[in-house]
Amino acid sequence: MDKLVIANREFHSRLLVGTGKFASSEIMAKALKVSGTEIVTVALRRVNIENEKDDMLVAIDRSKYLLLPNTSGARDADEAIRLARIARVATGIKWVKLEVTPDPYYLLPDPVETLKAAEILVKEDFVVLPYINADPILSKKLEDVGTATVMPLASPIGSNQGLKTRAALEIIIEQSNVPVIVDAGLGLPSHAADAMEMGADAVLVNTAIATADDPCQMAEAFKLAVEAGRLAYISGPAAVNRRASASSPLTGFLRDE
Amino acid sequence: MEVLRINGVEKQFPEGQLPSTVAKLLEQLGVKPATVVAEIDGQIIEREKFAQTLLRKGQSIELIRFVGGG
Amino acid sequence: MISTQKYSGPDIKAIIDEKGLDSNAWYWRKELSKVRGSDVKRTLSRNPGSYSLQKLLSFVSPAAEDYLEEMAQLAHQLTIQRFGRTIRLYAPLYLSNFCINSCLYCGFNKDSYSERKRLTIKQALAEADIIASEGFRDMLLVSSEDREFITIEYLAELAGKLRDKFSFISIEVYPMNSSEYTKLFEAGIEGVTLYQETYNRQAYQYYHPAGPKANYENRLAAPDRIAQAGMREIGLGVLLGLTDWRTETLALAEHAHYLMKRYWRSHISFSFPRLRPAYKVNDLQFEHLLSDKNLVQMILALRLCFTDAGLVLSTRERAELRDHLIKLGITKISAGSKTSPGGYSGQTSAVEQFEIDDRRSPAQITTMIREQGFEPVWKDWDSAVDAPTH
Repeated sequence: MDKLVIANREFHSRLLVGTGKFASSEIMAKALKVSGTEIVTVALRRVNIENEKDDMLVAIDRSKYLLLPNTSGARDADEAIRLARIARVATGIKWVKLEVTPDPYYLLPDPVETLKAAEILVKEDFVVLPYINADPILSKKLEDVGTATVMPLASPIGSNQGLKTRAALEIIIEQSNVPVIVDAGLGLPSHAADAMEMGADAVLVNTAIATADDPCQMAEAFKLAVEAGRLAYISGPAAVNRRASASSPLTGFLRDE
Repeated sequence: MEVLRINGVEKQFPEGQLPSTVAKLLEQLGVKPATVVAEIDGQIIEREKFAQTLLRKGQSIELIRFVGGG
Repeated sequence: MISTQKYSGPDIKAIIDEKGLDSNAWYWRKELSKVRGSDVKRTLSRNPGSYSLQKLLSFVSPAAEDYLEEMAQLAHQLTIQRFGRTIRLYAPLYLSNFCINSCLYCGFNKDSYSERKRLTIKQALAEADIIASEGFRDMLLVSSEDREFITIEYLAELAGKLRDKFSFISIEVYPMNSSEYTKLFEAGIEGVTLYQETYNRQAYQYYHPAGPKANYENRLAAPDRIAQAGMREIGLGVLLGLTDWRTETLALAEHAHYLMKRYWRSHISFSFPRLRPAYKVNDLQFEHLLSDKNLVQMILALRLCFTDAGLVLSTRERAELRDHLIKLGITKISAGSKTSPGGYSGQTSAVEQFEIDDRRSPAQITTMIREQGFEPVWKDWDSAVDAPTH
């Protein structure tokens, strides 16, 4: 199947996986392996000095996965930029998933602060993957400032509601010159397959895998769904039948030629 | 008493017992240096410099590490 | 100026070069002949209104000629959904027919002995008054390549004076550089129409032997500059009849698609100038003239691949044909056009660029439009809305 290309780097897998909400590092590591993913997101938080848990980074084999730090927790551009810089110092990686979420209830991304931060981070030579609401204009503006992808949400983080933003996603996919990675709210493998059939370049899944009864099996299900969806898309499916309502002939006048 | 603000919380040290470097602070707190990023008064400190970076009273220190996230 | 955009993909020159659309007519004719009726049927059911080269290939193929009625029904539906039951009206104002090019097909070419005329700003404004009195609010300023007289300053001055009468002013003149387009945009011109005439390099060279227009690549790259200057509307087209229309439509569509993806703030329209008798070039042999059926197929094919593109028809075409085409996806037409400078005031016998075949007045055209169940729209967008408030 065709490869995913982001910032001149090729990937076989079109499933990105998040590492939050897993019951344990071991389960997380197994699920990542089964998912076949090549890009894994992580977040940054203050160390809990009173009670430090094991560092989960050690459970992620960095020779196998590209670590993609996110700036979750940032409520404005400055905080996001700071987190991105910290992540870069810590890992040497200049890829960042830009998340600016001032709203603590739905964790919806702030479009204005995201665009602001994206522009600055691109200038600092980061490979920026911005998380946004499914806003086609914002997508084009981010592309204009040089982000490597756009990551529109399907529905709010953790809601598992699937492609609530379908109509807007279709427009983004049609108009985008950079890869479109549908992120957030994909609750079932069928949602992921659906997104891929629509023409998305990749999807990111976290909650649906981490909180399943059997995360490893769910990871495998998502892997298969993403592959199936992509294969279907590139095979050129026949569209849903649209019956044109019969009206009087429009080209009859040509018969006399 | 000498004070350092660590992760938003003020921590008091008896006079003269302030950890002299970042590395020493981490050792005292029982935090593995390999897993954290340190920020002093907003400046990011690289891990290689932990042993050389001196601490002064009144500074604000952020210790950050990677956790699971989407 | 949209100068902050980062784009790292191929430009239009690279795209059509890579696909052989500027040179490999033989290959594309073969591809077109491979299309079967079953392919056309399948393509008709796929994502109407969205573009892919494969889809368009099906629609412009000889095989699709048996499916024109199905294509027409779908195109009609798509157009009404997107544009409503409306037809926009515009008028061309010819400013000069002095020309320094020698295009073989054109009545204005510098070697043809014809009466030449240039309009002063005052004369142009007088013509514009007549046009406005007919109801038009959308004006297209047209000129041959007369850089000596129809300068940037002239156009900017004229646009400035027309702004309060016309809500949309566009131009169809020689290709310009970026700063010139920007100047004109700032003066109130919001659209530029520029036909590549032919995307085939060999044909282009043949038909444009001399003058600045002989430069194929400069012309090809001009729409990029138009978009970068901030122009809202970009009009593309080929002169139908110079070479095989099917291959030209493929190249034209690739150009449009490229511009739409790269310059998302600009709106693209297609025009369909079909070779017509012109002054003193009547005896030139054209082997690829389009039949009405071909023209209809091209219009339908483009509508089925570009839901949002404007499809513009001038008065080159005869009245009955235009009336039928209204229902097939056309969104904008001219009416009562005069294609020689000073033509509206009737004070000239200067040569026309092409013979007009629909000589109905704007009033007659609007009646026809209404009879077809459409509403004529004179004013679509008013630049006064976003004019600087100083």
